[in-house]
Amino acid sequence: MGKKILVVDDDPDLVETTSIILKSKKYDVIAAYGGIEGLEKARNEKPDLIVLDVMMPDKDGYTVCRELKADPDLSGIPVLLLTAVVANIPTTRFTQRMGMETEADDYIDKPVEPRVLVERIEALLAKQ
Amino acid sequence: MPDKVKILIIDDEQVMRDGCTRILSRDGWTVITAENGHQGLDEIRRHPSEIDLILLDLMMPGLSGMETLERIREIDSNLLVVVITGHATVESAVEAMKKGAYDFTSKPFTPDQLRLVVRRALERRLLQKETEFLRRERERSLRDIAAEKSKLKTIINCMGDGVLVCDSESCIALTNPAASRMLAMPELQLLGSISSECNLPPELLTTIEKSLNTLDSGYVSISQELCIGNTANLYLRAHTAPVRSDSGEIMGSVTVLQDISYLKELDKMKSDFIAMVAHELRAPIATVEQQLNVILNKMAGEITEKQEQLLSRAKERTKGVLDLIRDLLDLSKIEAGKMVQYKESVSLQEVVSRVVELINIEAAAKKISLEFVSTSATPHINADRNSMEGIFTNLISNAIKYTQEGGSILVRLEDDNSFVKISVTDTGIGIKQEDISRIFDRFYRVKSSETRQIVGTGLGLSIVKSIVDAHLGSIMVESEEGRGTTFTILFPKEVKSAECAVENVLT
Repeated sequence: MGKKILVVDDDPDLVETTSIILKSKKYDVIAAYGGIEGLEKARNEKPDLIVLDVMMPDKDGYTVCRELKADPDLSGIPVLLLTAVVANIPTTRFTQRMGMETEADDYIDKPVEPRVLVERIEALLAKQ
Repeated sequence: MPDKVKILIIDDEQVMRDGCTRILSRDGWTVITAENGHQGLDEIRRHPSEIDLILLDLMMPGLSGMETLERIREIDSNLLVVVITGHATVESAVEAMKKGAYDFTSKPFTPDQLRLVVRRALERRLLQKETEFLRRERERSLRDIAAEKSKLKTIINCMGDGVLVCDSESCIALTNPAASRMLAMPELQLLGSISSECNLPPELLTTIEKSLNTLDSGYVSISQELCIGNTANLYLRAHTAPVRSDSGEIMGSVTVLQDISYLKELDKMKSDFIAMVAHELRAPIATVEQQLNVILNKMAGEITEKQEQLLSRAKERTKGVLDLIRDLLDLSKIEAGKMVQYKESVSLQEVVSRVVELINIEAAAKKISLEFVSTSATPHINADRNSMEGIFTNLISNAIKYTQEGGSILVRLEDDNSFVKISVTDTGIGIKQEDISRIFDRFYRVKSSETRQIVGTGLGLSIVKSIVDAHLGSIMVESEEGRGTTFTILFPKEVKSAECAVENVLT
């Protein structure tokens, strides 16, 4: 417990609800409201896991994820992508579950079901 | 003919006039008489083109027969004149003939002789009339053709669609301003040139050649879309068909060009609009749903039972909207041609069994047995894998939605000649006959007391059909109300000839 999770999303309402879900499970939550801010906080805070939104105006989630994975200091941090689905409809559950398209460690479609989010995060952290 | 025939007798002798009138009237001809040349000429002037034959006495006091003849010829050189010579003077008869008389008879003559000569002259008159009639007809036809040609030319020139006519040598024989505008080539440059030498779009040239070499004797029209210019802002639809002679020989080809740029533009705008609306709508609704999730999970504090009930309903509604948006986006993607872009060799066996495996949880939750049977030896088709997963997920979850607890669903994969056949059979509520024809329509949902509780957008099956169409497949549905429904899809099997393999690599 007490693991540090960085939530990156340009929608403050989503950051808030995601934080509530995570805090209810006693995680420490750090919020970032954009891709650039997210990368910065990842470097400064070295979180245990990053929940990353895909569609962000300044720098999208795929790019942020690639940059994280390219950084040897950060590449070990598991990344859970929150896909807006619409960005890639035909990438149905199979591709998403199998993580075939990017280097993210797992994917969840928005909107997030709290139980699912928590399960996935626990699973990712358990792998560490 | 006898009715209308009018004969003029010009003779100074009363006896002759009366006698002839009697004889000729008996044959049904109308006879008018004149007792001298002047009177005769007056009669002729009074009945222009009514008199068919003139019997003219040469020996008359006053204006002589010969002079009268000359004057008659001046009035109308076509008038038939038979001269009557008094004393068998052949010389005067010959002279009259030289002056344009048609025939002669000499006094005295028997009624039969008169009839004979009149009849012969009238036959000649008839021929003359027919010739005249034919000449006029021909003149009129020529005028009609000229008018028709001019009309046709005006129509073709005024048309908004481009017209390009080639002869059998593929030489451009006719074109119009619209065609020259659409093809961005002056009309003069097009006309008379061999089509392959004047910079026409290569796809169109191929079509024209194909059209000129059509073997099939039926009507074959080839339709294609052309993109003009590098900027690709002009889209044309071209319809090309061969022109055949009576004997079926190909004489040339006709191509009609339609500017469909605005349609393309509208279509793109529509798709962009749907995509934009869907994106803009989806994000806030997804946020609302997540907020509801947090509240419903009591993560933001305790809520009363009533509040929970209301919020659950609210969540059902947001979920419905999200489904609708997802389907809309699917549709706009299909229309934008993005969804079925990456075709590869796909094993339907593999795809379907994965879908069945994943969806089995849903079926099990409703106590529905879901079985997959495959007897296909070669279930490979050339397809977009994700789309395939999409359509089977859709069909099977539909079957689960519309089947009551304890029912069963059978998914079957089998060979059907050069096709792979996949069927999804359920024991559900079935579809009414009147609804069957419409279930593939966008936004169509079967409305009944049984379906009211089922959440859906009415887009699923139309998406399925679009995908099936994009894979050159076909989809059928059979259903019996209260007994169940079977959806059957046929896909053409992957062709494994060397030629196709090369094509696949190239594309």
